[in-house]
Amino acid sequence: MKRLLFLALTGSLALLFVITMWQDTNREWTRYQRQFVRSLSKDERRGAQTGIRQLIVPGLERVDRCTTCHMAIDKPQLALAEEPFTAHPGQFLAWHPPEKFGCTVCHGGQGLATETAAAHGDVKHWEEPLLRGDLVQASCRQCHGDLSKVSAHVPLLSEGKGLFQAKGCYGCHAVKDVGQTVSVDLTEVGSKSYLLLEADFEMMEPPHDRIHWLMAKLDNPRHLNPGVRPEQLPPGEEEVFPSAMPNFNLSDSELKALTVYLLSLKAGDLPASFVTHEPEAAVLTYASPVEWGKAVYEKVGCTACHGIGGSGGRHNWNAALGTEVPPLTYVRAYYGSNVEALKALIRDGRQPAPRGLPNRPRPPLYMPAWKDRISEQELDALVAYLFSLSGEPVQPAAPPAPAEPAGSEPPAPTPS
Amino acid sequence: MAEPQPAPAKPDLMQQVKKTKLWKSIFRHDFSDTPRTRLIRIFGNVFLHLHPVRIAKDALRVTYTWGLGGISFYLFLLLTVTGILLMFYYRPTSAVAYQDIKDLTFVVTLGGLLRNMHRWAAHLMVVVVILHMVRVFLTGAYKPPREYNWVVGVLLLVMTLFLSYTGYLLPWDQLALWAVTVGAQMAANSPILGNEGPFKLPFITPFNDARFGLIGGTVINDATLIRFYVLHCIAVPFIFTVFLCVHLWRVRKDSFSKQTGEKVDVWPHLVSREFLATLLVTVVLFVWSLLMNAPLEAEANLNVTPNPSKAPWYFLGLQELLVYFDPWIAGVVLPTVIVIGLMAIPYVDTNPKGVGSWPKMGWKRLGPLPIWYPTERPFAVSVFMIGVIMWFVLIFIGVSCRGPNWEWYWPWESWSYRRMTKLTLKNIPNLWGLALMGAYFLFGSPIPKAVKDRIAAKAGPKAPALVSAALHFGLGLVMAAALIIPILTAKDADFPLRSQYTTLFESLGRAVNAPAVAAMWHLVQNAGPAVGYGVIGAVILGLGLALGAIGVPFGRLKDRMFDEMGLIKYTIVISLFMMMTGVLGKIFLRLLFGVKYLFSLPVFNFNI
Repeated sequence: MKRLLFLALTGSLALLFVITMWQDTNREWTRYQRQFVRSLSKDERRGAQTGIRQLIVPGLERVDRCTTCHMAIDKPQLALAEEPFTAHPGQFLAWHPPEKFGCTVCHGGQGLATETAAAHGDVKHWEEPLLRGDLVQASCRQCHGDLSKVSAHVPLLSEGKGLFQAKGCYGCHAVKDVGQTVSVDLTEVGSKSYLLLEADFEMMEPPHDRIHWLMAKLDNPRHLNPGVRPEQLPPGEEEVFPSAMPNFNLSDSELKALTVYLLSLKAGDLPASFVTHEPEAAVLTYASPVEWGKAVYEKVGCTACHGIGGSGGRHNWNAALGTEVPPLTYVRAYYGSNVEALKALIRDGRQPAPRGLPNRPRPPLYMPAWKDRISEQELDALVAYLFSLSGEPVQPAAPPAPAEPAGSEPPAPTPS
Repeated sequence: MAEPQPAPAKPDLMQQVKKTKLWKSIFRHDFSDTPRTRLIRIFGNVFLHLHPVRIAKDALRVTYTWGLGGISFYLFLLLTVTGILLMFYYRPTSAVAYQDIKDLTFVVTLGGLLRNMHRWAAHLMVVVVILHMVRVFLTGAYKPPREYNWVVGVLLLVMTLFLSYTGYLLPWDQLALWAVTVGAQMAANSPILGNEGPFKLPFITPFNDARFGLIGGTVINDATLIRFYVLHCIAVPFIFTVFLCVHLWRVRKDSFSKQTGEKVDVWPHLVSREFLATLLVTVVLFVWSLLMNAPLEAEANLNVTPNPSKAPWYFLGLQELLVYFDPWIAGVVLPTVIVIGLMAIPYVDTNPKGVGSWPKMGWKRLGPLPIWYPTERPFAVSVFMIGVIMWFVLIFIGVSCRGPNWEWYWPWESWSYRRMTKLTLKNIPNLWGLALMGAYFLFGSPIPKAVKDRIAAKAGPKAPALVSAALHFGLGLVMAAALIIPILTAKDADFPLRSQYTTLFESLGRAVNAPAVAAMWHLVQNAGPAVGYGVIGAVILGLGLALGAIGVPFGRLKDRMFDEMGLIKYTIVISLFMMMTGVLGKIFLRLLFGVKYLFSLPVFNFNI
């Protein structure tokens, strides 16, 4: 009995050791390397390097082992080969020598890994997913501060940057020193940890990574953050409104462009020798104060809440001024005789926004203070533009009263 | 086995070789299976020499020891070997530590296996050492003359946990950082020496308190990493080895606890079993390491706190106790009491029975209930096992039933970060709390025989029993009253302005987490105050009488124990026992009555 047990245990130990050695010598990457070497002609095989290959990039503190499987990135004759043996498209490797840049600084993913899923960042606990296809444009902005010089290669990024401006994102979000503080600062949204991002993966299907979370968020903010209604909560606990971020009804391409732009907003920890800085914005001159004001209106992001041309308000729960952000077509009617009051309102904002019902939470959107972000000259131009919005001269029609009765609000927020 | 053919020339050569000095200095005895060689094998080998030459046959039975001590020792050796190999690949600085672990996983030959084995062997060692202790307790193997070795064993258990804990930080991932943070935070809460603990000394600051000593800073950083690295790889293993030598040496000196059965030779009977056990453990660990990878989360980041942050599993029982007690109790006082209590066991357990065999179980009727109980050492075995089971139940709750914000999730439920549970927890006024705790601990007081005799002499033979009954029913009623009356009547200190609720009864009655109080509140609301308070009064009476009814037989046990043990041993035993059940009691108070503290001195940060 003991002898049998001894034999069985020793045998299984030996077997286990063989299995581990076999596993260790037949890792995923060795299969790819064998496949690659087999595809070479005989005289080419002699020079082929096998084993783990890595690019050690001291300047960027990275070790990238991608070339262990992607063995042909520097062989242009393999441009049409199947992955992972495709040559790197374009002239990019000539412009960015791999030994100076590595792979992951542009493409994301986990350079240290030697298994496909782990290397591509499709695993838990790795928060830098692979930037597949066009998404890689997100990385260019880390160094190319002046996008105009590489504009031919970064159409999505440029479009996204434009959209960020055009949709008025700056009205609520800050990126570095531009933008407002109504909502989250987006300066490092492309690199900060999922926990700090408050990435609520609970409401979305996998894959749970930064790219898909940003896309889901932009596609329909309230889908990810539907709030918590009073009836879902223990008694006495304050309800949580759904995301106040408007649904911009972005098209698929716009969605992608904006995602690329957001992914490009990374913590800038690259050495100065890599980085070129954004040029100073050209000082534009405008034909009229109204045009100038329109430019200001769009630049600082009023559109996000007040709508294009000041026409459509966004939903703002439990706001005393009505559940829609006030439209600006009545500005002349209301402030025509008191321009200073209007300027003061823009300079200092109205924060926090007064509540409609005192027992419900504060309205998520509010008018922030603009005095640090809009100069006095720009403010004059902006007022001129706002006055121009109503088109006709002063209307005697009733303006929206600031202290609209609170009871007019529906009892529960509509999630649409 | 084939018979060796006597070849003409070969044996001669072999004989020649065997006569050389070289051969003789390496193989110092022949290998024939004779009593003499069996003996020489043990005597002549420094490692095997730790064994006796002969051993009782019954002590060899696997079902007696389960080989747990030997397996612990083997796991320690295995951990040393894998640990040394891992040290070749690991640099203890925050800049590269995490990358080195990634390298082990992805590029080092058999590196993943090495790390997995080290990790799982460490977990297994904690389990096996605890089980070894349970085995030694249950077979009474700590009783004289082995008391001292039990104490050494408890120290080895503590060191095993500390080794595991210091190793937990080294991968430098989020799991490691925050698990160690939880543990380090407990050091900051130690009484007197911790900056956040009760009664801290006037010169204690975050920069010289117990946590600073443990982690070498106010937050976990490079200083902690190198400190834990040295502790894990050199300092603690060194001390561990010293104690281990003493432990093994004492086993040999004090002889085995099982002496029945004929004596057999240790070689081959014991040595072969030991070898098989190590083989078995190796195979199990090998398979485990092949099937499951050691966890590695994102790189450590002090700015990102995962929710929940959990300590290593063997400390999760203590972390779970944080729900019911302040950190200085759950994290410092209770572990200290547990360790000292364990060490005290052989010195306070005077029962000579039950050495060398597993507890004999028997059936007994207690009122209407049949009870399965250990016949020879009923009190010792039951109390110890209740303690062990409590420890593992708390660990299970901490590991499997706690999610974000430390809320309760069943193991099959998925966590939700959107769930919110509003807890209403209230303090009982200090005087009532003192009365409750005082009555509770007086419940452990005995009536010595001398006192009983004097009572009997004065007031007749039935008087001592009556006095005992009066004492226990009285204390039971005091406890019931001191719990429920303040909840009914005391003002809620959190609402001094009478803006919302005014009494604890209203606050807790409307809370969702105090079912007992809520039931009373609804009773008073629905049935009217007269009926409601009447019923509650009856409940107080019933609860007090029930406690008294438990107390009377408990009193007989106490009195007997006191007479057998004497004052000092009895005090130690009953204090440990009352503390253990007190922990259970506090858990029930918290879960049923929403009681946060029984006694609170916020000025000194002293809350119970």
